[in-house]
Amino acid sequence: MQQIINFLIKYRNLLLYLFLLFIALGFTIQSHDYHRNTTIHSTGYLTSSLLNTKSGIYEYFELKDQNNKLSKENARLRMRLLEISDTLLGEESTFIFSDSIPYKVFPARVIKNDFYKTDNYITIDIGTNQGIEPDMGVISHNGIVGVIDRSSDNFSRVISILNSQISLNAQIKGTATIGSLKWDGSDPYVMSLEDVPRLAKVTKGDTIITGRQSTMFPPDILIGVIRDAQLIENGSRYKIEVKLFNDMTDLDYINVIKNRDRMALKVIDTLGTNE
Amino acid sequence: MNSTLLNNILRFLGLLILQVFLFDEIDFLGFIDPMVYVLFIILFPVENKRWNFIFFAFGLGIILDTFQNTGGAHAAASLTLAFTRPLWLRLVYGESYKMKNIKILQSSVDRVMLLLTLSIILHHLIFFSLVIFNSSQILYILKLTLMVGLASLVVNSILLALFKPKVKV
Repeated sequence: MQQIINFLIKYRNLLLYLFLLFIALGFTIQSHDYHRNTTIHSTGYLTSSLLNTKSGIYEYFELKDQNNKLSKENARLRMRLLEISDTLLGEESTFIFSDSIPYKVFPARVIKNDFYKTDNYITIDIGTNQGIEPDMGVISHNGIVGVIDRSSDNFSRVISILNSQISLNAQIKGTATIGSLKWDGSDPYVMSLEDVPRLAKVTKGDTIITGRQSTMFPPDILIGVIRDAQLIENGSRYKIEVKLFNDMTDLDYINVIKNRDRMALKVIDTLGTNE
Repeated sequence: MNSTLLNNILRFLGLLILQVFLFDEIDFLGFIDPMVYVLFIILFPVENKRWNFIFFAFGLGIILDTFQNTGGAHAAASLTLAFTRPLWLRLVYGESYKMKNIKILQSSVDRVMLLLTLSIILHHLIFFSLVIFNSSQILYILKLTLMVGLASLVVNSILLALFKPKVKV
């Protein structure tokens, strides 16, 4: 007994070190897992409010840039509006603001963004109080950004598309060819579209958009253009390099999208497997 | 409350705020964010209990982890640095560093720089290994360690030069 106590006293620093290291490594492994049970995250009360203050300060340095982007987006939206009113004539053009649209869009501000790690996350300043739930899609004016991972009252964490755990449904514009969009963890401007069949028509410069199978994103949201494509697995499939439209290293204002029909679609999707 | 303790608490908070509010936003060349909080671990008084020291290092790391969504990478890196610090001290100041009761801030510049370099290499290597967490990207890990390490070294040296009390060369 005495020896055990002596041992404990003698090696108490080593034991403490190993114990704490074990905890830290546990957190690390957890953070690389695509699960919602991470213990260490940036949506806690103190951390998120500090990050919020910080991004509030940094915002002032970017006001001019912001104005520019907003006015450009405004112009583009106005163009779309004119286009619609042109085809629909008169009053009906207001239908795009009515309840018949299955998507609800929440504006939000990025208060923390990462891009150099293998598994990157973004923290934004809206949460469950504003109606945010896990699995909602996040886009910016240039294209997709990520998927909501977890929310606290007023903040949420977004799994960036620059995260090796994420895999999104995407399609080549103008065709019905779909594939899954992944990130290999190196270049924040390039992702890869995998599992595209050999017979698909793949042309350099084609646009990649979100697919209709995705329940998180509305269809036809921009992703990027094809930069390079090669056949893999004995030429049975394409692996396509996609240059992103979005500059993931420079995000500020983004939109969270709520799909009204998501649950319904999910139920329909799982019907087959229950049989 | 004695002044050493107060000094260390101030240093803890100061470096934490500096790291989160200023140095995490540098993004030099897109990915280089110098880590200044390593200074806290390097400058922690030698005569203090190691028990406390290890706890402080772990705490500082885990707080930064919550800010950067890095799981426990900061914590593991600072913890290991704190635990192995006697080794580095012995390497830099010789076997008798315990007897002399050295004050790291008041030792000569070359010694401090050597200690700083060794500490930063160890810390960054562990940190980026855990952040990238992919053995096939060892080159990327080494590149990050080298580039960010250099930046950290420069920034930390500047901070030391700015806040060093009465330099004795």
